[in-house]
Amino acid sequence: MFDTALSAADLVFLAKGAGMTILVTAISVAIGTLLGILFGVIRVQLGATLSLPLTFFLDIFRSVPLLIQLVLANAFMGMVLRLQISGFTVACGVLSLYTAAYCAEIVRGGIDAVPATTRRAARSLGMSWMQDMRYIVAPLATRIALPSWIGLALGVMKDSALVYVVQVTELLKSTQILITRLQEPLFLLLICGAFYFLISFPLARFGGYLEKRWSHD
Amino acid sequence: MFGYTFQWNQALARLPKMLDGALVTMEVAMLSMLIGIALAILLTLLRLSGARPLRAIATGWVEIARNTPALFQIYMAHFGVASFGIHFSPFVSLLIGITFNNAGYLAENFRGALKAIPETQTRAGRSLGMSQLQAFRYIILPQMLRISFLPMTNQMVWAVLMTSLGVTVGMNADLYGVTQDLNALTFRTFELFAIAGVLFYAITKIITLGARVIAARLFRY
Amino acid sequence: MKKLTLTTALLAATGLAGMAQADKLDDIIASGTLRCAVVLDFPPMGMRDANNAPEGFDVDYCNDLAKALGVTAEIVETPFPERIPALMSGRVDVGVASTSDTLERAKTVGFSIPYFAFEMAVTANDATGIKSYDDMKGHTVGAVAGTYEAIALEQQVTAWGEGEFRPYQTQADVFLALSQGQLDATVSTSTVAMANVKTGNFAGISVVGKAPFDTDYVALFTNRDEYGLINYLNLFVNQQIRTGRYAELYEKWVGGELPALTVPNAYR
Repeated sequence: MFDTALSAADLVFLAKGAGMTILVTAISVAIGTLLGILFGVIRVQLGATLSLPLTFFLDIFRSVPLLIQLVLANAFMGMVLRLQISGFTVACGVLSLYTAAYCAEIVRGGIDAVPATTRRAARSLGMSWMQDMRYIVAPLATRIALPSWIGLALGVMKDSALVYVVQVTELLKSTQILITRLQEPLFLLLICGAFYFLISFPLARFGGYLEKRWSHD
Repeated sequence: MFGYTFQWNQALARLPKMLDGALVTMEVAMLSMLIGIALAILLTLLRLSGARPLRAIATGWVEIARNTPALFQIYMAHFGVASFGIHFSPFVSLLIGITFNNAGYLAENFRGALKAIPETQTRAGRSLGMSQLQAFRYIILPQMLRISFLPMTNQMVWAVLMTSLGVTVGMNADLYGVTQDLNALTFRTFELFAIAGVLFYAITKIITLGARVIAARLFRY
Repeated sequence: MKKLTLTTALLAATGLAGMAQADKLDDIIASGTLRCAVVLDFPPMGMRDANNAPEGFDVDYCNDLAKALGVTAEIVETPFPERIPALMSGRVDVGVASTSDTLERAKTVGFSIPYFAFEMAVTANDATGIKSYDDMKGHTVGAVAGTYEAIALEQQVTAWGEGEFRPYQTQADVFLALSQGQLDATVSTSTVAMANVKTGNFAGISVVGKAPFDTDYVALFTNRDEYGLINYLNLFVNQQIRTGRYAELYEKWVGGELPALTVPNAYR
C-alpha cells in the first residue's frame, strides 16, 4: 500500500488543492459570519412576522442541496446575466450566503438566550440600544453561540468539497485528478481524508471544550 | 433584458421523471435515517460500555463521520472499499455513505441528550430490579429520543440534501441524478436545476412540517 | 431630475444590450486569450502529464486554434457533465471537448463541422468472460454520464430488460470501477479504450470488440448565436485537415487509420 508512484510534485499539487479549500473556507466564513450577524440581529429586532421575507430567503440556502445552489448561481450569473465572473467568485458567494443562513440562526439563538430581564436592567440603567447590544448582549450571546459557530465553520470547510462543480480545484478534486493518473484510489483518498480530519478534529474538540466549560458556570 | 431565453416548457415536460427521482431521494433519505438511528443507539451503548476497544470503535466512527466531508465518505464507500474487493451498487454505496454520516452525527446528539437525563434515573431503575440494559431501554432511551427529536429532524433534512452527492458514485435514479442526466440530454441547465431546487425545497418542508405534526402528537404532555 | 434618471436608465440598458451583442470573435481577439473547455480525463484526447499539466489531442487542437487567432490558449478543465454550463456561464469561449453534435444539444449550443470521429468499443473486465457487445446482456455496465455512448448504452440495457446501467461522472471513474470489478463492461470511444488499456494502469481489462453504434462525430461548440465565431471554427477545422495538421495530431496521439470526417451521400 505504501509502494506508491506519488511524487513530490504531486504532493505540491495536493497542497495547492488544500490551500484552495482553506482559502474558499476562510473567505466564505468571514463574509458569511458578518452577514449572519447582521441578518440575525435584524430578525430579532423585526420580530417573526416582519422578518418573514428574510427568514424565507435564508431558509432556501438550508433547504436546497449546495450542489444545486452552486450550479444554479453559476448558470444564472453566466447564462442569464452574462456576467464574466470566475468560478472562484461564484463558489465564495454561494458559500458565504450558505454560511450566513446558518449563522443567522446561531446568532438569533444566542441573542434569544440572553435573559430579557438582564437586557431590561441594562436599559433601565440608561444604556442605549447600541450600548445594550455592545456591552450586554454581545458578550453573553457569543459565549452561547461560539461552539455552534465553530461547528458551522468546520461544516463549511467540509462542504467546500462541492465547489469542484464550478471548476474550482480544491482538495478533493485534486485528489481525484491524481487518482486518474496514478490509479491508487484508497491511498490517495486516505491522504485527503486525513487532511480534513487533522484540521477539523482539533477545532471540533476545542469547540466541545468551550461548550463544556462555559455551560458550567 | 436577459441575454438568455428561458424554455420552461422543455424542462417542465420532464417533470414526471424528476418526481420519480424525488421518490428515490426520499427513499434513500428515509432508509438512511432508520438505519442511522439504530446504529447511533448502538454507538451510544458502545460509548457507554466499559470495554475500551468498543468505546474506541464507536468514538472513531463518530469522529470520522463528523470531521470529513460527506462527499468523501460516499466516495470512500464506493471506490475506497472496492480496493479490498468489496463492491456495492451506487444505491447501496450512497446509502452506506449517508447512513455512516447520520449515525455519527446522531450518536453525538444522543450523547448530548444523555447529559440532560439525571444518572439517578438509571440507578432508580436498577434498584427496581431492572438490568442495566432494561433501564436503558425503558427509562433512558425514550427520553433520549425525545430530547433529540429536533436534531433528528435536522439530520433528516441533511440526509435528503446529501442524496445529491450520489452522482459521484454512479447513481442516477435520485432527483439530482435524474436532473443531471436530463441536463446532458437537453443542456437546459438553469431551468432543470431550478425545478430540482424547488422540489428539494418542497421535500425538506414536508419533512419539517411532518416532524412538527408527529412531535405534537407524541409529546403532548 | 426624473428625465435624467430615465436617460441614465436608457443609457445603462443600451450599454447592457450592447455588451450582450458584442461579437465573441472580437472579444477573444481583443482579450488576447482563448479559453477552451477540455475534458482532461479522456485520454488521449485530454489528460495530464507527470507534472499534472494538460496534454492530449484536444489540448493541441485548442492551442492550434489560439495560434490561428493570434492569442494565447487557456485550458479550462471541465468534466463531461459541466461542459455546457461552463460555456453558458461565460467561463470558456469554445468547447474542444469531444462533444457529440446531437440535434437535441444544438437547440442550446452552436456546433462547428465535426473535427473528430469516434468508433465505439466494448471494454470488459477479463474475469467476466464478456467477448462481444451482445455478451454484455444481463451484466452491470457503465459509461460516462451525459455522453453519446452513455445515452445509447442505457437505452440498450433498458431494451434488454436485464442487467444494470451506471453512469459515472468521469471517464477515469468508469475505468477505475471497471478494473475494480464494480462494472463488468463499458462502452467508450475506441481511442479512449485503447489509450486507457495501453497505460497499464488498469489490470485485467481488455478491449473485446466494437459496439454497433453509429459513428460518433464530435464538434467544437460555442454559443448558439455566435455565427461569426462558428464560421471561423468551421474554416479552422477545414484548414486543419487541408494542411495535414489533423493527420499529424492523429498520428501523434492516436495512431492508425485516420477516421473520415465526412458523411457519405450528404452535403455537409
